Amino acid sequence: MADISHPPILVVDDNPDNAHIIRDYLEARGFPITVAYNGDDALKAFEEVKPSLVLLDVMMPGRDGWQVCRDIKQHPTLGRNVRVVMVTALDDWVNKRQALQTGADDFVEKPFELSRLAATVERNVKLLVPSTVAGAPGSAPTR
Amino acid sequence: MSVDYHQLLRDSLTRLPTVAATIDSVRKAVQDRGEIVILYFNFDRYSKVEEVYGWEKLDSVLETTGEAMRDFLSKSPLSSSRLMVAFPNDDDFVFFHVPQDDTPAATDAEITELTAGLKEAVSSQIERVHGEDIAALFDIFVGRSLVVYNPKLRLERQIYRGIREAANASKSLEHREQAKKLSDLRETLRDRGLYIEYHPIVITDSQKVFGYEALARGTMRSMRSPEVMFEIAAQSDLIWDLSRLCRERAIEGMGKLLKDGELLFMNVDPADFADPSFDVNTLNVKDPARVVIEITERTAIKDYPKFRGRLREFRDKGYRFAVDDAGSGYAGLGSIANLEPDFIKLDMSLINCIDQNFIKQNLVETMVRFANEHGAMVIAEGVERKEEYEMVKSLGVHLVQGFFVHKPSTSAVTYRPPIHPAPALAEGAK
Repeated sequence: MADISHPPILVVDDNPDNAHIIRDYLEARGFPITVAYNGDDALKAFEEVKPSLVLLDVMMPGRDGWQVCRDIKQHPTLGRNVRVVMVTALDDWVNKRQALQTGADDFVEKPFELSRLAATVERNVKLLVPSTVAGAPGSAPTR
Repeated sequence: MSVDYHQLLRDSLTRLPTVAATIDSVRKAVQDRGEIVILYFNFDRYSKVEEVYGWEKLDSVLETTGEAMRDFLSKSPLSSSRLMVAFPNDDDFVFFHVPQDDTPAATDAEITELTAGLKEAVSSQIERVHGEDIAALFDIFVGRSLVVYNPKLRLERQIYRGIREAANASKSLEHREQAKKLSDLRETLRDRGLYIEYHPIVITDSQKVFGYEALARGTMRSMRSPEVMFEIAAQSDLIWDLSRLCRERAIEGMGKLLKDGELLFMNVDPADFADPSFDVNTLNVKDPARVVIEITERTAIKDYPKFRGRLREFRDKGYRFAVDDAGSGYAGLGSIANLEPDFIKLDMSLINCIDQNFIKQNLVETMVRFANEHGAMVIAEGVERKEEYEMVKSLGVHLVQGFFVHKPSTSAVTYRPPIHPAPALAEGAK
């Protein structure tokens, strides 16, 4: 049975140091964490783990965070049950507008403080409705 | 991304099977019965819905559409037939009707009747779930083709050809309809067949009426939606004529409707400023300070200095300006500052579900700060839910417009103070 206040989170960052800091910090706060280091692996992990929340670095070689966010949000079966937080230096209007266009729900400015990251995770978790928390059947559509 | 096979076979939004998933089960029926009727449902303005409100909205509209269609067809004489989507996540639908052994295939006349019923059913469901603005954009054209089984030809190919034929038939219907709409528009312009609905804009905290936005509606049913009227006008070079009529009508109603201090918000397309008859001296406005001209950010302004020169003429007479759909594009705040607006109307997509999206909250907060620094007021339009209202209020948005407070109507509204006292500023919102 999934813990509603601590749903699984996917952390995507091509910098392993960053990814591990986030993982350790959030794991210590009780969240089950999966880590991916590039866009393609992120999408594979997304389909496997079916996380409720994705923390997504924007600047990655290959498929970047914007593309990954769009693919996740437009995923035919899981897309609507996930919240995506972009981890980036979204410093101006245009960037934030672009983030919205890809379907992102929130952002944490880089470089981030861990307490700020935790607050962002918490406020997004609060908005998850129970049925969207992973563990609930979200994949196969039924008639 | 890897795509599961089941995603290709069933559309997750409408929960309808795709053609690929259905073709095998239809094969035997066609062989037995010898013929099949293919209906192609072409939703004319769904691309417009996506353009204005974003893909999430169209996804949700498609969900409603699929549900309403399934529901309607299950009660129709064609209930034994199969409804499906052409491709997953596409916005057109295909319907295979294999007549029962003892009944003849549906005729064109029956299809026309069915279409009318279906149109009504889907559009009223869309209005119930998504509001009348989106319902007004709804239009459906149904093309029909008959595939007669021929063992010499591969069945799938016959069916695919049939689908294309039905799709083409729906397109030509659409063109015929377009021609009819153009003649309706000409008639509207000739007979001045247009009335105005006034949509209140209220002060966020007190919900007192601050002004009204004039929304043009054609008296002919086909001309009810201003989007449709302006789309047809743009295709046939009648924009200036239509805009002129809309302006005249809006100003005519001003005297009767507006109480002391209330403002009239009037939409003007930047292209209208090139119309020689759109002039400070020809507008029949007694008190220009009561009129706010709304300019949409969506239309690209080509010649800024010239455009600003024209704005100056109006401003000098006392007219005020609002930038409509602000934040819809990527232009950022610079282009808004260029127009020196008195009001900034936020794009509806920023308000839709703002209570659940922290990026939208951040953008609106930025816009409010920008407006406060520039002596302008921010208007949130499209406020439909209490949660959205509470959120824009906590973000400091000055004025609010939307179904949550008032619907557009042909008359003035009576002041209703908010039922619930305003809560303190939300912590997380700041």
